[in-house]
Amino acid sequence: MSRTDHAGPFIGRSMPRIHDPRLLVGHGRFVDDIDDSGALHAVVLRSPVPHGHIVAVDCAAALACGRALLVLGPDDLELLTDELPTAWRIPGQRARTVAVAARTVRYVGQPVGLVVASSRAEAEGLAELVRIDIEPLPAVLGLDAALAEGAPLLYPEDGTNVVGEIHFGDAPQELERVMASAAHVVERELTIQRVCHSPMEPRGLLAEWIPATRRLTVWSSTQSPHVVRQELATALRLRVDQVRVVAPDIGGSFGGKVTTYADEVMVCLAAVSLGRRVKWIEDRTENLTASYQGRGQRARARLALDGSGRFLALSAHITGDLGAFPIQAGTGPFQVTGLALEGPYRFERAGATVTAVHTNTVPTGAYRGYGMQEAAWIRERLIEEAARETGRDPLELRLLNLIQAEELPYTTRTGLGYDSGDYPAALRRAAALAEERARPSGDSVRRGVAVTPSVEITGFAPSALLEMFQIDWSGWESVRVRVSQDGTVTVFAGVIAIGQGIETTLAQIVADRLGVPIDWVAVELGDTDTAPYSDLTSQASRSLTLAGAALMQAADRMRERMFELAAYHLKAPREEVVLEGAEFRWPAGRTSLAWQEVTSRGWKGWGRSEPGRIRLEETADFDPPAITFSYSAHGAAVSVDLETGEIAVEDYWTVNDSGVLVNPLIAEGQIIGGVAQGLGIALTEEVVHDPVTGHSLTTGFTEYILPASADVPPVTVEHRSTPSAVIPGGFKGLGEGGVIPGPATVANAVAAAVPDIAECLTATPLSPARVWDALSATEAGRA
Amino acid sequence: MTRAVSLVVNGRPYTAETEDRTPLCDVLRHRLRLTGTHVGCEQGVCGACTVLVDGEPVRSCLMLAVQADGCRIETVEGLATEGALAPMQQALMAEHGLQCGFCTPGVLMSLAYAERARLTAEETVSEVLAGHLCRCTGYVGIRRAIERHWKTEEAAG
Amino acid sequence: MKSVPFEYRAPATLEETLALLGKPGANVVPLAGGQSLLPLLALRQVRPATVLDLNRVPGLAGVEITDEVVRIGALTRLRALVESAPLRAALPVLPETAAQVANRQIRHRSTLGGSLCHADPTAQLPAVAVALEARLWLRSARAERSVLAQDFFAGARTTARRRNELLVRVEFPRTPGRHCRFEAVTRRGRAGFPLIGLCLAVSLAGSVVTDARLAASGIADRPRRLWEAERALTGRRLDGDLAEVLDAASAEADPSSDLHGSAEYRSHLLRTVIRRAAARLATEGSAP
Repeated sequence: MSRTDHAGPFIGRSMPRIHDPRLLVGHGRFVDDIDDSGALHAVVLRSPVPHGHIVAVDCAAALACGRALLVLGPDDLELLTDELPTAWRIPGQRARTVAVAARTVRYVGQPVGLVVASSRAEAEGLAELVRIDIEPLPAVLGLDAALAEGAPLLYPEDGTNVVGEIHFGDAPQELERVMASAAHVVERELTIQRVCHSPMEPRGLLAEWIPATRRLTVWSSTQSPHVVRQELATALRLRVDQVRVVAPDIGGSFGGKVTTYADEVMVCLAAVSLGRRVKWIEDRTENLTASYQGRGQRARARLALDGSGRFLALSAHITGDLGAFPIQAGTGPFQVTGLALEGPYRFERAGATVTAVHTNTVPTGAYRGYGMQEAAWIRERLIEEAARETGRDPLELRLLNLIQAEELPYTTRTGLGYDSGDYPAALRRAAALAEERARPSGDSVRRGVAVTPSVEITGFAPSALLEMFQIDWSGWESVRVRVSQDGTVTVFAGVIAIGQGIETTLAQIVADRLGVPIDWVAVELGDTDTAPYSDLTSQASRSLTLAGAALMQAADRMRERMFELAAYHLKAPREEVVLEGAEFRWPAGRTSLAWQEVTSRGWKGWGRSEPGRIRLEETADFDPPAITFSYSAHGAAVSVDLETGEIAVEDYWTVNDSGVLVNPLIAEGQIIGGVAQGLGIALTEEVVHDPVTGHSLTTGFTEYILPASADVPPVTVEHRSTPSAVIPGGFKGLGEGGVIPGPATVANAVAAAVPDIAECLTATPLSPARVWDALSATEAGRA
Repeated sequence: MTRAVSLVVNGRPYTAETEDRTPLCDVLRHRLRLTGTHVGCEQGVCGACTVLVDGEPVRSCLMLAVQADGCRIETVEGLATEGALAPMQQALMAEHGLQCGFCTPGVLMSLAYAERARLTAEETVSEVLAGHLCRCTGYVGIRRAIERHWKTEEAAG
Repeated sequence: MKSVPFEYRAPATLEETLALLGKPGANVVPLAGGQSLLPLLALRQVRPATVLDLNRVPGLAGVEITDEVVRIGALTRLRALVESAPLRAALPVLPETAAQVANRQIRHRSTLGGSLCHADPTAQLPAVAVALEARLWLRSARAERSVLAQDFFAGARTTARRRNELLVRVEFPRTPGRHCRFEAVTRRGRAGFPLIGLCLAVSLAGSVVTDARLAASGIADRPRRLWEAERALTGRRLDGDLAEVLDAASAEADPSSDLHGSAEYRSHLLRTVIRRAAARLATEGSAP
């Protein structure tokens, strides 16, 4: 074991995570690890076509053999379930719910029913006997098909495949006016592919209905237990207090496990119907083809500059591929792209129109860094192209237009209020690191570097802001601190652990604020019976920021109560009591009392200062007064093989400011993990559908290619620290920042390496085939 | 077809009734309740289910349990001794080489093999870590842990 | 996903194995390393009644080297190929290519015979077998016959192996003075999934090619010998102008487009790997 960290301070210390030993010895407790003795196993029946009406689901053969315990089809589901709610909508959007029962299927893989048997293998065999009779309808695959004249309609009653539209920032006419008079305008169409979250642990749940108590307990690999609890109650027509959702260890999520899926409702319905435990573990093919996906956007964007290189206007029309229907976060990612378009720069005018479109593919929704990565891609490619076209140094052009430290706080044209930091300083530092890292080109291998600044919305979001946008979420977090009779400390929080190490950082905060050894602290998360309510939990770079802020407040109150109790028992004036090594001392009176003795007396009700406050528990709710923004600058050094189009990222570095860091080791891990996912978007990952059949062609990890170790170079992480002024503790989030500027940075480095193809770098992933297509049209490629 | 399979797992003999079609990972996890070995893809790509069979690293989703009849199996549960983390486990912890921890058991078993096979740290990264997917860490912490551990072992001779 | 139910048989003799394989009407799949078969079973793309495990059959694995041939048992693991010192001396291209397949964990189980019988059109070793005119020995309960590698591959995941036959060994002829090289380009990312590969084998007089063998993977539904390119290369210098060779190869290739790249891209990559293989052989050479 590494050294035991008994004594504080803990905030700011790079300490190993306290729950790592359990995971390292094989005692992780993921859903599929939970003892499932006696449980039945489910297989989901899925649509084999991208669009069609279900005529009949014939279960007779499956039921006839006597081994199927239950088969659910659309009839049963329609009778027994209600629809799931959505949270974030777009003006014009008609659908406010997600149906569990599908009469019309709108993507390959859409769940239409469930088979339950004694084992997974058995259930899979029985599922093959179920005949799903579908009358096929013409399908819409891709944005162009969806928007084409006379396109087949997913929802004929809408008269269009457009879901809705919204505009942020300056009005379109005003943007046009500035564009028309600008000295230089760069225009590009920029695309970001669909991606799969690909957590190493797919989705899965174990559902138990106890008929005697009429209570449903669901162990689910979810990022949002309280949301799932409410959604399940709605869909299954239960009272919320009849449902308990427990998130055990979660094997990654990245935004893919933030809401209840229709197939998950079916599994719970099966448990309720049978009065038995029913388990379903998503397999990898399902995960890659039928779990909700991320990104999937195209933008027509323009950047206008004056003769001196100042940014006059940034304008984009963003079209988002929402897939078959709007899910919980729905069009949110597209909208954030519009909202976050400006990034860390000053534009005299900026605005974006966002259009969401239905296609006959898997619905899209939240994926790490959503909207912000897309916005960075659009903005930073345009800026790089503007520099090239106007013959300016890209770094100088960026520095000229970055918001200066003294301009903060600063409100963007779309209304984001940046709080604090020094954006140019981060970019200058990244550029200095770039100079050390530039390497020469060879005959057939060209090299280039690029640096890119970005800002990150963190601690999302004030509840009032969500109310203003009519997004059906709360933004606050709640934390309860309990000091037990034996002096140990338990933190209950609504945020949850998805591998990001929040258990350790919360323990560090509470140990520091209370002044106890960290190994006296336990952190309990993920069980709706005990966890404070939370809608957004560990999403949107908010868990440490907001739960940490709440915990600062709860712990400080608890500390004060402990001192008051100690003072009473020491018969000392409160202000003369000190806490040293878990012992309260009154130096003047030469008396002392162990922390544990104080807690023990406290729970007996002895020495309380207020009649109504006995339990040694403190709860604090924290609703952020404003969004707090992290910022960073990323740099990449790449090589481009002119013969094959292969890109290698040879070096990567980041300069990051997320305010006060509780645990720099964990912070660095979050940033590097995000960088790797950014490299996946930049280079390897892409969901591809057969344009005729609508079937996914990326059904396994040999086709949907995740970055491997060799794809991720060493990553240098440097920190700056501007404490947040709006978050107690000074924290800013960083869970998503790592992914945001990566794809743009890599593409800009490729542009630097091979300027001939810079104009063609408009879509990710920059696969060898795509890069070669660009190269083959140039001198460099023909060489 | 079902039959009884005898395995020695982490030095302890087990007999389990299994269907012929069942892969080794499912028997380890669901019959023997050794759930430290995780299943990430069932397609042999991710490496999460890696165990040692007679000392060699094997993706336990790519081997039928009946094929392992009579074999000596080592899983992540066997690495720590008397509650003390093995040095490689300590190195992963110190270098933040795991986040969600789902892929970690498989990575650890491959590294245990690499260590015994006396591969260099470089070979371990390029040939053995290459057989694993990790979605959280970006591999940087894992590679640092490998370097740290190999350096320590070298120093110790 | 889980496989369909099947019966597992692991006979201890070749005779018993061949008898089981030859049972009329039997839906039997031989199991060697299982690294390609197990995923296909799990995905229910292969649905056998019986899985016939070859791993307990003696005599199917091993490397034997004579003056004329390198004889490799079908059940020889790729890792054994990589680590065989005699093989590295006799036919280095084989261990070098085997080392490019997947990763160590997979190579520990995966076998030469399994790789050939799986007949993935992008796989590396089938292309080497075709280029080197390997002879594949197939045995049934009644007879043994041999097929040249170029005739063995009949399409994507389709071979000349009859249902009652087992691939028992592969013979690579030894040609003194021949230099071989395998060059490949993988799919996006560095995970190493193959996209296109080329095995080039040449005999040289000085740096002039007196005899050439070229076979490529990933350019058709099976590994393909590039006969015209061979003719064009013969009599030329390896470090000379290869335009005619490349054009001939392009004309012979029949690549298709998929999510990893267009047919044009694959054609281009074929030219690239030929150039690279020739350049490497010209500068480094290779042990015969």
